[in-house]
Amino acid sequence: MSETDKLKIDIVDALKSIQDPDLGRDIVSLGFVKDVKFCGGVAAVTIELTTPACPVKDQMREEARQAILALDGVDEANVEMTARVRSSSSDNQSLLPGVKNVIPVASGKGGVGKSTVSANLAVALAQSGAQVGLMDADVYGPSIPTLMGLSEKPVSGPNQQMIPVTQYDVKIISMGFFLPEEKAVIWRGPMLDKMITQFLGGVQWGELDYLIIDLPPGTGDIQLSLCQKVPLTGAVIVSTPQDVALNVAQKAIAMFNQLNTPVLGIVENMSHYRCSHCGQRDEIFGTGGARKVSESRGLPFLGEIPLSTNIRVHSDQGKPVVLADPESEQAKAFLQVAENTAAQISIRAMAGELEQDIKVSF
Amino acid sequence: MDEQTRSGDDSPVIPREITRAGDHDIRILWKSGHESLYPARYLRLKCPCAVCVDEWTGREILRPQAVTEDVAPSSLELVGRYGLRVRWTDGHSDGIYTFKLLRELCPCCQES
Repeated sequence: MSETDKLKIDIVDALKSIQDPDLGRDIVSLGFVKDVKFCGGVAAVTIELTTPACPVKDQMREEARQAILALDGVDEANVEMTARVRSSSSDNQSLLPGVKNVIPVASGKGGVGKSTVSANLAVALAQSGAQVGLMDADVYGPSIPTLMGLSEKPVSGPNQQMIPVTQYDVKIISMGFFLPEEKAVIWRGPMLDKMITQFLGGVQWGELDYLIIDLPPGTGDIQLSLCQKVPLTGAVIVSTPQDVALNVAQKAIAMFNQLNTPVLGIVENMSHYRCSHCGQRDEIFGTGGARKVSESRGLPFLGEIPLSTNIRVHSDQGKPVVLADPESEQAKAFLQVAENTAAQISIRAMAGELEQDIKVSF
Repeated sequence: MDEQTRSGDDSPVIPREITRAGDHDIRILWKSGHESLYPARYLRLKCPCAVCVDEWTGREILRPQAVTEDVAPSSLELVGRYGLRVRWTDGHSDGIYTFKLLRELCPCCQES
């Protein structure tokens, strides 16, 4: 064996010391280490993560660099971080052939900020480099077009499919595109079911890492149709800290449980208010309630979003705060939710790869 | 009842493989390794849809005489992550057999 080959093996061995904190295993046994090169004292490796929105990406890069540099004979170490989002299901069926993960954002109660969370989540994931779609399934009160600053309509493409509107690198479809603002949707179940089918299969989503679905409140036709049409990766539950919202949020969790759809975790929105004048923190709806519920239900807590004029203003202006004011406390809170969500998806997807999906041959 | 069907166990019951058995029966291999074989007509008679079973009382509405002896599944499709829809040769396809129900219906686990 040549010196170079021996060193390559040493490099891989050294990288075994690096754990993926979310998946709880070392990056070598997870198969993340690709392209190990060594030439004239310079080592280069590529680490392929399961999401570009990995919260510990930089830390991992540094750990890898140090581990390689500690080897005899290595003067320089270049570590490249890439990502390949895994699919939560090998068979996303004919409706969404190119979509790797479908993530509904749900709550029991209305008005807790599902759409704001969905929009910021989608934009934050897209900013990290992932391919993202955002489906506004709230037919009664479609607010995604406003939040994303859209007035143009999707056009229809070849084979009768709609081409989603792209804004801030997110592909978007919404009932709001097709209705004048003063008109309302007054539909019975079968129509809602049809709309969901149309929004899934009748839209040219293309290749997506994440399709975020902004659901209407409750546990009705739309939620049920969605859970039946496609195997969902897992739901994100949004709640405010109050008992009245949390009690209803638990009903949404119960619905997903009944339909075998995993719940990725809970986001606490309107968690607290920081006075823009004196900076004092005021807990208008109480705080920590969602964290307690997630602990008692054994669900991941994805983060807390403050109640803030900053979020409201940018939302109304059609530019989510993660884009409009990325350095703000609020944007960072959303970013953390996005990273935690991506991490939970990776965990599910990796488990899915090991557990393998249901094979139907008939 | 084995641990898979015992109530109070929260972990979902998931099939690993769903295939045809014989000419028109259905075979499910569960994640747990257990194998269930469902004769076609037996499963057709257990259809859980609101036309076949009263939604509120659970009373069976479907009369066994109304189902022919040679009824068979013509196709199967997964419903989300939790169930299976069967299209029968008699034209019926309304029932969603949840995995939980299918596991409970396993003929070899039925107490005589």
